[in-house]
Amino acid sequence: MSTELLNEISENLQRGKAKVVKQLVEQAVAEGIAPAVILNEGLLSGMNVIGEKFKTNEVYVPEVLVAARAMNMGVGVLKPLLAEEGVKAKGKVCIGTVQGDLHDIGKNLVKLMFEGKGLEVVDLGTDVSPDTFVQTAIDQNCQIIACSALLTTTMGVMEEVVKKAEAAGIRDKVRIMIGGAPVDDAYCQKIGADAYTPDAASAADKAVELCRELAGDVA
Amino acid sequence: MTNRERAMNILHYRPVDRLPAVHFGYWGELLTEWADQGKIPRELAIGNGDGSEKDMALDKLIGWDFNWYHCTGSNNGLSPGFETKVLEILPDGTRRIQNGAGIIEKHKPGVTSIPSEDDYLLKDREAFETLYRPKMQYFPERVNVEYYKHFNETRPKDIPIGLHLGSVLGDIRNMTSVVGMSYLIYDEDEELFADLVDTYAELQYQCAKTILETGAKFDFAHYWEDICFKNGPLVSPEIFDELCAKHYKKRCDLCHAYGIDIISLDCDGVVGQLLPTWFENGVNTMFPIEVGVWGDQFEPARQKFGPGMRGVGGMDKTAFRKDKAAVDAEIERMKRLASLGGFLPCPDHRLMPGSKFELVQYYAEQIKMIRL
Repeated sequence: MSTELLNEISENLQRGKAKVVKQLVEQAVAEGIAPAVILNEGLLSGMNVIGEKFKTNEVYVPEVLVAARAMNMGVGVLKPLLAEEGVKAKGKVCIGTVQGDLHDIGKNLVKLMFEGKGLEVVDLGTDVSPDTFVQTAIDQNCQIIACSALLTTTMGVMEEVVKKAEAAGIRDKVRIMIGGAPVDDAYCQKIGADAYTPDAASAADKAVELCRELAGDVA
Repeated sequence: MTNRERAMNILHYRPVDRLPAVHFGYWGELLTEWADQGKIPRELAIGNGDGSEKDMALDKLIGWDFNWYHCTGSNNGLSPGFETKVLEILPDGTRRIQNGAGIIEKHKPGVTSIPSEDDYLLKDREAFETLYRPKMQYFPERVNVEYYKHFNETRPKDIPIGLHLGSVLGDIRNMTSVVGMSYLIYDEDEELFADLVDTYAELQYQCAKTILETGAKFDFAHYWEDICFKNGPLVSPEIFDELCAKHYKKRCDLCHAYGIDIISLDCDGVVGQLLPTWFENGVNTMFPIEVGVWGDQFEPARQKFGPGMRGVGGMDKTAFRKDKAAVDAEIERMKRLASLGGFLPCPDHRLMPGSKFELVQYYAEQIKMIRL
């Protein structure tokens, strides 16, 4: 019964049925299913399917956005309950579009996919200075700094973020990811960042992997 | 041979004496840079729009033959537009501004990139019916008929001039934001988004028809969309085809009926997945064929669609921020693509800040020396 309900949550999330997802999550809570189970096996499971389909062009931006909206409706119901139970995120990321750049559609998509993987995201917005990225990572104990740029004229700021992070002495505990239209893997390697990913879903997979690596190192 | 003849001959696979040097304009910041460097008169850096007198004066200075975006059209958008107004000023100086399309944007002081979309007005059927549909109605004053009645005598004769057909989905995206468009596609009112697209398309068709009925003659017709990014289209090709194909066909058929057989479409990003809808419904010229980190898109399209698929663009403009060797490499690449026929080399977008004036001049000079 609970498996059926969780599958229903997942399927309706994938169809972007936000109101239905909210009702089903409320029902699942009322039926006594643990909030963490509802989150992981209902909501995140559905977002995972969407993420995989986005990578292979089976779904596109609108389908991701409506699914994410449905996910957030469901998470809204669970948030206070998850906090009560001390359920922790899988990692913490600060994300932003680099200084001089106001494009945020790509960054927002990545943020949604990060949340869809159970990561906690500190959204710094747009036009974010290297100092702000680094200081936020320090102040908020982020494992990842994720930088987005859409313009060739602003991608150079990403290298500044790497240098600032090195100067701050945090490179052993913070990984730097980059993405956006003008960047590629060669650029990532050139500036000494840790990962470039070509799309939002891959970025989320990579972020989880990097957080696990860091957790393993700590252990 | 005039540049008009050169361009049209190349796109129709007829002989030419040489390649023309074609461009697609500049960032305003670049023109200011060049003026600061003393490369161009200050007055050419201000109010320099595509196809303007200043644009053509700059062509002479640099050595370009013409700007492909020298198009003319009508008031075929929202009319009247929404009042542009500052809604809020945030503590860091960011201004939340409602623009003429009803999008609320964030503008940050000192930052010149395209603003981010913060909110939008077109959220549901009621908003469409009360705020937007009334602004999408055709009325005669939208087209300057008198201007077009004399267009054939008054237009520049030596360069190609395009009829701007508007857009099918790009303007809709600009009225709704990417987020808004996505939500509307999946709105509970399943007819809403199609209704929005159809209503706007009918307006744009009527405007184009009115222009063509005056007898004004154009060398090509042109759409603008910008509906793709690095990972492909912003909407699924299936949904795009379902919503938009008929509108492309209707407008392209209209152009054909008036003797226009070159129809270009401006879309940045990786466009391959939408090319079938465009090509099958009359769009036969890719523009500006952004190179990006994904490389050339023209040759794969030519292989797929055959000689019917033309192109204007494809030159990696970032070479102008590098050195002569980078520009030479692009010239060689352009030479090869031009040898395929039906292709006019052109920078793959507006030249950006940091582009070196002398390299641009060099490119324009060298392209004109290429014989096909």
